[in-house]
Amino acid sequence: MRGLLSSKAAVPWLFLGPVVVFAAVFFVLPVVFAAYVSLTTWDSLTPPRWVGLANYQYLFATDPIFLRTLWQTVYFALGTLALGVPLALGLATVFGRSRHQGAWRVLYTLPMVTNIVAIGFIFWFVFRQTDGLLNRLLGLFGLPGPGWLTDPSLAMLSAILVFVWMELGRNMLLFAAGLASIDESYYEAARLDGAGRWQLFRFVTLPLLKPTVLFVIVTGFISGMSYFTLMLVLFPGTQGGPGRAALTTGQYMYQMAFEDLRMGRASAVSYVLFALVLVATLVQLRLLRRGGVEARG
Amino acid sequence: MTETSLPATAPGLAAMAETMPPGRPRSAARRTAWTALKYALLTLGALIMVLPFLDMILGALRTPAERLARPPVYWPRDPQWGNFVRVFEELPLWRWMANSLGVTLAITALQLLTSAMAGYALAKFRFPGRTGMFRFAVGAQMFPFFIFLIPWFFILRYAPLMGGNDWTGQGGFGLLGSYAALVLPFAVSWYGIFLMRQFFLAVPDELLDAARMDGAGEFFIFFRIALPLVGGGLATLAIFVFLYHWNEVLWTMTVTRTAPDLQTLPVGIYLLRGAFEQEATKSLQQAAILVSVLPIIVLFLALQRFYVTGITSGSVKG
Amino acid sequence: MARGIAGLGGACLALMGGAGAAQEARTIQVATHYTPEQAAPLEACFDAFEAANPGVTVEHQQTAYGDFLQTILTSRVGGTSPDIYNVYSVWVPQLASAGVLEPPPADIAEFVAANYAPATQGAVTIGGQLWGIPTELSVYALVYNKALLAEAGYTEPPKTWAELREIAQKITRVNDQGNIDVGGYAYGTTVAEGVHPFYAQMFAAGVPPFAEDGRSTNLTSPEAVRILSDQAALFADGITGNEIVVDNFVSNAVGMQIAANWNKFGYQEAYGEAFADTVGVAPIPTDGPGGTMLYSFLWTVDAASDVKDDAWALLRFLSEPREGGLSCTGEAMAAMGAFAGSDADLAAMTATADDFDRAFIAEVTEGRAVTQPNVWQASEVDRILRGYIDQAWSGGMAPADALAAADAEIQAILSEQP
Repeated sequence: MRGLLSSKAAVPWLFLGPVVVFAAVFFVLPVVFAAYVSLTTWDSLTPPRWVGLANYQYLFATDPIFLRTLWQTVYFALGTLALGVPLALGLATVFGRSRHQGAWRVLYTLPMVTNIVAIGFIFWFVFRQTDGLLNRLLGLFGLPGPGWLTDPSLAMLSAILVFVWMELGRNMLLFAAGLASIDESYYEAARLDGAGRWQLFRFVTLPLLKPTVLFVIVTGFISGMSYFTLMLVLFPGTQGGPGRAALTTGQYMYQMAFEDLRMGRASAVSYVLFALVLVATLVQLRLLRRGGVEARG
Repeated sequence: MTETSLPATAPGLAAMAETMPPGRPRSAARRTAWTALKYALLTLGALIMVLPFLDMILGALRTPAERLARPPVYWPRDPQWGNFVRVFEELPLWRWMANSLGVTLAITALQLLTSAMAGYALAKFRFPGRTGMFRFAVGAQMFPFFIFLIPWFFILRYAPLMGGNDWTGQGGFGLLGSYAALVLPFAVSWYGIFLMRQFFLAVPDELLDAARMDGAGEFFIFFRIALPLVGGGLATLAIFVFLYHWNEVLWTMTVTRTAPDLQTLPVGIYLLRGAFEQEATKSLQQAAILVSVLPIIVLFLALQRFYVTGITSGSVKG
Repeated sequence: MARGIAGLGGACLALMGGAGAAQEARTIQVATHYTPEQAAPLEACFDAFEAANPGVTVEHQQTAYGDFLQTILTSRVGGTSPDIYNVYSVWVPQLASAGVLEPPPADIAEFVAANYAPATQGAVTIGGQLWGIPTELSVYALVYNKALLAEAGYTEPPKTWAELREIAQKITRVNDQGNIDVGGYAYGTTVAEGVHPFYAQMFAAGVPPFAEDGRSTNLTSPEAVRILSDQAALFADGITGNEIVVDNFVSNAVGMQIAANWNKFGYQEAYGEAFADTVGVAPIPTDGPGGTMLYSFLWTVDAASDVKDDAWALLRFLSEPREGGLSCTGEAMAAMGAFAGSDADLAAMTATADDFDRAFIAEVTEGRAVTQPNVWQASEVDRILRGYIDQAWSGGMAPADALAAADAEIQAILSEQP
């Protein structure tokens, strides 16, 4: 042992050892395994049958619903961002200037520490059509009470609303930290130039906050694209919401794999989804880097 | 992807409030209007955040008759506080909590150790393969979880010489149905390695070299000198990892379907759907869910400050 | 876990060549979707079996019904499967083809042939091969709320769909928000709550949803299109809606629905004394020859079980008629308001049946109930069909288009069958 340690070249590898072993077993092997399985037909009980690219071909040429789930997934991911990011940013801006912000913070970040299953259940009750909290409140104002979870045209929107609600606190904290790191001198200078409240936000806050905004968007997009635990709880027993309107690609893959025992096809789905997320992430990271440079320059 | 974009610790909200521009008023009237509007919005938002929880509490307190009444009764007339006790009798809530705590702590400890060791190696040694390993850790972060879902299942299933398997992985059930199945796949966090590397970069080499001069062993240097210097980073990572895995559902559900003894809190309450699905018993379902979220909310209130710091500094990984 | 240890122990003993020693302690794991309360009569029988067979331990494992197939499959893949499953008959083709199920030994086959009606045997037989012992028999019929029908001025349940529609329309009440408070007719949100009534209506119309050999569908038949169009019309005309579901029946909020007999338990719990005066059962309204759907659960043994002989012995023990008339299985079924499949059990149950049960049993004994075809990948097929039924209900697709799309998708799956 002593000899090994004193051999300089080996030392870093001793520290890296556990990680290298892990990477081989739980990263490289799975990635290769999934790639292989995606080229086979395999019900996991009988031996796999090599089918080449047939699974991928099936997904794009034959599968009547795969592309729809992709679209629904993108809709979910982008929808949560389009709604959640401006909301969190606005709140963070207002927050920064309010007293008692500790108390506010607790309220807004409560969902962050509540597990997703509980949140799903909570909103399953809130969204109930005839006696749920939301429709009761709408009823007070004489508004109609739609079927948030049972109307195919609303199902995904409802999931988006819950996700935004859930992530609001976290995003708000991120933006607040970003705001805190903006040097006061920028504002001083802008005010000397006669900038108003909106102009300060538009021309000082927003550009300087760009790295944080992009970070929230990139991570939000990645998690949104592979998300479906929430849908499992919100739409119980329906396997993807009314008319499969809330079926995301992730859940579709899970159904294929663990319900229909189509491991090959499911692995192909996971690779397609991965490719999509990867491309989108790389594009966003490019923007992120550029945003970072701008912010510092 | 350079380390310059990572502040060692991001300022918490408290610090932020002090550094924020005070918002110079144009006129007293306008300021009052703005403040009123601001608080109105904040209050409205806070209500939206809290009402669903309150709705859940009211639901848990209703009697079966109130639930079945048409139209259903909203305000419980005879609050069933006993429901919160009954769920402990009818459901293995303690077991779920213990499992959640054990599994999450084990994952957190493992990730801290592996992240710190690997991050230390990448930050403090120059060796062939260093850049490659670093790039690997960064790139690996881009692989989403769902790619691993199926392979992990089978790797654990066919783990040689484990759980009754022979050396070819046949005969038994491998590591499925054991706590190892819940913990091992999450033993390493690529993000954690990346994060810890950033923190170790700030540790001066001179300090380590001086210890080497004194004849200290490498592990001694790591555990006794380097590690204590990155306590802030470890705490950040710990909070981050703990919360993430405390709420993990999908993997745990997949591997514990036939091992109810291993189910964690979120998985247990997910499967509640089958337990109290009749409308008349839904109050119990709601009570159980509330009970399940309570401990972590209390913990959160106690550790709020650390937690906020963890989330915000954990974010800056570009 | 216990089985894991037992399995490990068994493997070690086998390695040592101590085959006799493996007789020592054997554990039979029984997986059902019954709650501990529902399974209580079974548990009592397990104890009796344990007493009669020293060294054998029987453990009951409850699995949520919604996840049951998934549980079997994942546990099977994971090698942690129980020894006995109580499975839904439509899962059998998939489970059997994957080698999950152990074909019953000759004595069990004889037992089933001698003690169960042909229709019931049909539910647990695929392509001539018997796969287990029938347990829970479920039948669909029109369940209606007598009080709501009376309020609307009707004393008799509808015989045709047109009558059903007329009555339902009179019952439906809408609240200030435009949501249905009391619905004349209701469906449910789960896959089965949409698909099973549809299948039952098809059988009633005289056209089974699938061809006899299970390799093609009749979903594009005029009858199927008409049934779905009529259903969609109930939604379009505000007679039913997503806001009113079969679960609301216990709140006096649903006039009629197509439901299975096992719901009795919930109805009784909700209505108590008023149950008999409130809940009525009638054949499924139709313009066709009439009929309905029946499905069965069956006791099966895992092909990988290391205690197969004990498992079959236990199952036979559970299924044999006892002094009081009911078998163990029958007693458990009766306690939860369900039917057991054996002739003796059905006879014993009919003797003590109330109007509710008698109406359902009549569907079986009068030959109206037809076995749900055990098609390939049934859960996937049902899921797909439910998706398109939703589309038709919500007006997103014309019923004929929805069924054509469903047919194409399902046809592709059925043709995969080996």
